[in-house]
Amino acid sequence: MASLLINGKSHTVDVDPGTPLLWVIRERLQLTGTKFGCGVAQCGACTVHLDGQAVRSCQTTVAQAAGKKITTIEGLHPSGQHPLQLAWIAEQVPQCGYCQSGQLMSAAALLARNPNPSDQDIVSAMSGNICRCATYPRIKRAIKRAAQGGRA
Amino acid sequence: MSRGVSRRTFLASAAAAGAALTIRFPLMPPGQAAAAAAYDPNAALTITPDGLVTVHITKAEMGQGVGTALAQIVAEELEADWKDVRVDYPTNDPKFGLMLTGGSWSVNWTFDALSRAGAAARLALIDAAARTWSVSPADCVAERGVVRHLPTARALRYGELVARAPITRTFTEDELKQITLKKPSEYRVVGQWIPRLDIPEKVTGKAKFGIDTFLPGMVYAKVVYPPTREGGKHTAVDDSAAKRVKGYVATVTVPQLVAVVATSYEAAVKARDALKVTWDAGPNASVSTESIFAKFASAKDDPSAAAWHEQGDVKSAMGGSARQHEATFTTDYVAHMQMEPMNCTVRFADGAYDIYTGSQFQTFAAGTLAATLGVDASKIRIHQQYLGGGFGRRLEPDIMVETALIAREIKRPVKLIRSREEDLKRDFYRSATLQVVKAGLDRDGKIVAWDNTVVASHPGRRWGPDFVDKKGLDQFALNGADHVYDIPNQIVRAIPVDTGISVGYVRAVAPNYTFFAVETFMDELAKMAGVDPLQYRLSMLSGAPRLARVLKLAADKAGWGSPLPANTGRGIACVSAQEKKTPTWTASVVQARVDPGTGKVQIDKVVCAVDCGIVVNPDGARSQIEGSILFGISNALKERGTVAGGALAQSNFHDYQVLRMDEVPEVEVHIVPSTEYPTGLGEPGTTTIAPALSNAIFAATGARVRQVPLLPDRVLAALRAKA
Repeated sequence: MASLLINGKSHTVDVDPGTPLLWVIRERLQLTGTKFGCGVAQCGACTVHLDGQAVRSCQTTVAQAAGKKITTIEGLHPSGQHPLQLAWIAEQVPQCGYCQSGQLMSAAALLARNPNPSDQDIVSAMSGNICRCATYPRIKRAIKRAAQGGRA
Repeated sequence: MSRGVSRRTFLASAAAAGAALTIRFPLMPPGQAAAAAAYDPNAALTITPDGLVTVHITKAEMGQGVGTALAQIVAEELEADWKDVRVDYPTNDPKFGLMLTGGSWSVNWTFDALSRAGAAARLALIDAAARTWSVSPADCVAERGVVRHLPTARALRYGELVARAPITRTFTEDELKQITLKKPSEYRVVGQWIPRLDIPEKVTGKAKFGIDTFLPGMVYAKVVYPPTREGGKHTAVDDSAAKRVKGYVATVTVPQLVAVVATSYEAAVKARDALKVTWDAGPNASVSTESIFAKFASAKDDPSAAAWHEQGDVKSAMGGSARQHEATFTTDYVAHMQMEPMNCTVRFADGAYDIYTGSQFQTFAAGTLAATLGVDASKIRIHQQYLGGGFGRRLEPDIMVETALIAREIKRPVKLIRSREEDLKRDFYRSATLQVVKAGLDRDGKIVAWDNTVVASHPGRRWGPDFVDKKGLDQFALNGADHVYDIPNQIVRAIPVDTGISVGYVRAVAPNYTFFAVETFMDELAKMAGVDPLQYRLSMLSGAPRLARVLKLAADKAGWGSPLPANTGRGIACVSAQEKKTPTWTASVVQARVDPGTGKVQIDKVVCAVDCGIVVNPDGARSQIEGSILFGISNALKERGTVAGGALAQSNFHDYQVLRMDEVPEVEVHIVPSTEYPTGLGEPGTTTIAPALSNAIFAATGARVRQVPLLPDRVLAALRAKA
């Protein structure tokens, strides 16, 4: 049994403590906004926050996450109005959309520690997140828009 | 045919624009229409009493914004109020005709049919209102979801009209054809900046992809895959250890596969790891990159090679030419690497299969599944989900077949998720290729003869006889080699070679490699002729004025001819992709820097100009062009699939690398305003990049690289060869 605090809500799950957090979030708790992409921390689709830090949930065990505050895309903002989510819509970022939860979670962790990132800061923080549709130019623009209070 | 509609037959009829949708009037007898309390005039849309217009999108939404674009086309002629427009992605049904998404075809194939579907529904609504008021329909107009009687200013909303009485107006195909559609100057929805309908749920995590499916009582399967891509067979299965894994449910051994089923994903993985399967690796166990290219090299001189495209008399023109030039181009295997690994969830009950996944080719999948499972195609219901990337990967029904076979055996709903490693090993790659191009020039440097041999594996051969021509050739393995330059004598010889490595259709398909050879070779010929590469191309484009225009536009915007720093060059390429009959005229200028010490190439900027006819959704169009260019950069600079032991040697994103944000150059897109019939945008941009980049490397260094990807060691080798 493991107890996990996800998006402010406590969940008790019967899994091996070595189970990747990703599979518990997705397949047990059906919080499916967090995506499986590679399983080896190479693509960033599974990014969630652990006490505010962006981590790859495919390489984070349930034991490592227990006792910490876990935030998924569903908990980024209660009504989906996080400045980044609004900026993502304003810049029409997603194409297939599959990687975008991870992109948003990485970007949110960046803005939380660096509210006014430079281009280089953005590239450094975001180069661990792959987008096969290559929406990268729009992701960069959207992060800047959000950092500037929604102004393009 | 056993697999439903023949794609080849369809392609022929689709050449006449808009044949993609079967518009059947009436869809429902009048009595049923009333019972349904909705106006469902054809397979394209439904209007409900609440006033909502639901456009049924039979194309897969995989990021190209097709749902929004096709809904805009319908809404334009329907005179719907855009705020009332919704889309859905219906389960496969023969009434939708060919359910196939690819080839940058979606808007091109449906623009006319969906325009007429919307217009017909509008006329029916006007008729219904006129009958209600006992007035002439000629005195009524429809605008923004309301029918108005002009003389009396009475008005009824579409929803009210649908609620009031059954609408029974029917249209024959001839009547549909006779409807006068709007002129582009009258468009209010098409061509407007309209936010994509699928984006809000893609920023909150609410969008449902195939992998997000849950069914009551569902269990998880893992398939044990053979060591070779093709030809492996299981000879023995020992599941004694697997059975001891907590959560183990069953082992499935059928001729097509071995799988294990458990109550959770992680238990299924453990059980799979504990399963001992003995394999006969089959005849391809020693297939390697080297053996494949050796096979290609010996096949290229096959005297019996079929001519896929031929005009004039190449032999005598070549013989009589003043100078000849020949070059060999190769490209490596490319994987799809769509972000959502292949997955599927199936419930088998009462003899029918409910299949939850994202499919680009439901018609083919339903036919294949019906044949494999021995049921009627009506028992195959593919519940379409969002696609976490398609790029051609989800044209293939393989994951559905595997999951359905397992579901049939265990009789419980089952979800199968491939790992990334399995996804990559079981991909259907873009073929490696070898192309030999030879040209004869007259004394003025003009090309008088062109001889191109294309050696590649042809995906259509695996799909079946309906996907190749009479010579056994798959046109989708060759398109582009039949370029649009004015060259009097041309031949394209096609040599399909099977290698034991499964090939499929990867974004932009053949034009990736055919235009790499054509457009790189064109630069070489320009150099021989002593003519600027831009001017050289323009001198041969009298038959393609729209291509000449985008070529000039891209060159102008990129500052063609202006000075650049050392080791920096601009390269240009233009294409008639995806198909010569329905081209999107596209030209790109790539500006790149080469590090002469390491051979590393840095792209500084790409300027792309496109003429695709009418643009339905301008921002969506721009987004597709940007993405297609960056996909092309990823292919051209980084992606190299190699083969060892009969399988792809790479396993995940660490050794099969794709473009990341730190490698993205400035991308500038110019779309030519046009009122021509629309073509497609998902792929053509991709095809310009490898040749434009190779040409930029040549402009920067004088070294010619004829292998894609343009890896540093290849650039270095070319630099050394030049020196």
